[in-house]
Amino acid sequence: MTNALRLGLLLASLMVFLLILYTVIRRMLNIKYSIVWILWSLLSLLMAIFPEIFYSLSDLLSIQIPVNTVFLIMTALLYALTFYVYIMISKHNEEIIKLTYEISVLKKELEDLKKKQ
Amino acid sequence: MMKTLVVIPAYNEQDNIVRLMEDVESYGYDYLVINDCSRDSTKDLLIDNDIVHLDLPINLGIAGVTRVGFKYAKDRGYDCVICIDGDGQHLPEYMKDLIDEIEKGNDYVIGSRFVSEKKPVTLRMLGSRLLCLLIRLKTGKKVTDPTSGMRALGRRVIEDFAESMNFCAEPDALCHLLHRNFKIKEVQVAMKEREAGVSYFHNPLKSIYFMLAVSLSIIFIQ
Repeated sequence: MTNALRLGLLLASLMVFLLILYTVIRRMLNIKYSIVWILWSLLSLLMAIFPEIFYSLSDLLSIQIPVNTVFLIMTALLYALTFYVYIMISKHNEEIIKLTYEISVLKKELEDLKKKQ
Repeated sequence: MMKTLVVIPAYNEQDNIVRLMEDVESYGYDYLVINDCSRDSTKDLLIDNDIVHLDLPINLGIAGVTRVGFKYAKDRGYDCVICIDGDGQHLPEYMKDLIDEIEKGNDYVIGSRFVSEKKPVTLRMLGSRLLCLLIRLKTGKKVTDPTSGMRALGRRVIEDFAESMNFCAEPDALCHLLHRNFKIKEVQVAMKEREAGVSYFHNPLKSIYFMLAVSLSIIFIQ
């Protein structure tokens, strides 16, 4: 990795880390979902500070250019995170159907009661 | 006597719903119209005409609406649910034929247009044939009208459908049941062209997406 790339990574991951902390503190991001992001930005900070990890990892995986190892890990993490989001969406979808059902039944029962009076 | 509920999903059906409900009411079954957050005057019409209905606070789409109907039927202990579209294409006169078959011990009865009638050769029916083929390959069983939305459900199927989120639409739900050896029967019915409003399948992209989603669901999930 060139020094420019290293510096870029360092600055970017530092900014991401601060942005995430900011969004949590400003209550834009639920703390529950911020943990994974904080871990992730810490990981990229680590990558920027100690790129040697990636040199040896690249050797281990027979990847010629270390930056490709970075891409590989990032892509895999993104996949995992996106998949997790899809699972959450499905769960929320189910919950919304349940809530919508409960609300509509309550509305109906209220109307029926009003009519009886 | 079985406790039967007629479920009628309605989305922007102001031109059809009152006439349809007069017809449905004349058969004397319990019924439930589910207004899927219509943007026209469907809601007012339902209230003004004293039609039993649920008014959903958000738009769930057809799959969600039928789930709500099944949950309602399950909670109120109905033995049989029959689904009729709010657009008037399903004729209430055939409801009894479907319910009778549930009473005879079938789990799921489909109002099919093509039990004794021949399937016409149109683009839409080509899709229908493809789905029949897929279902046959997957389950080894023959069906004639997998996309029909007019169906009657027995108690076991109501409970299954109320909780499952694994269906895109009717064809893959049918495949799910076939695969699990529920007793399924098709009954000949006639359907009308829709009287007013626009079909979901008017949009070719949506049709393609529907076919793709349902096919993948049949092949890999059900």
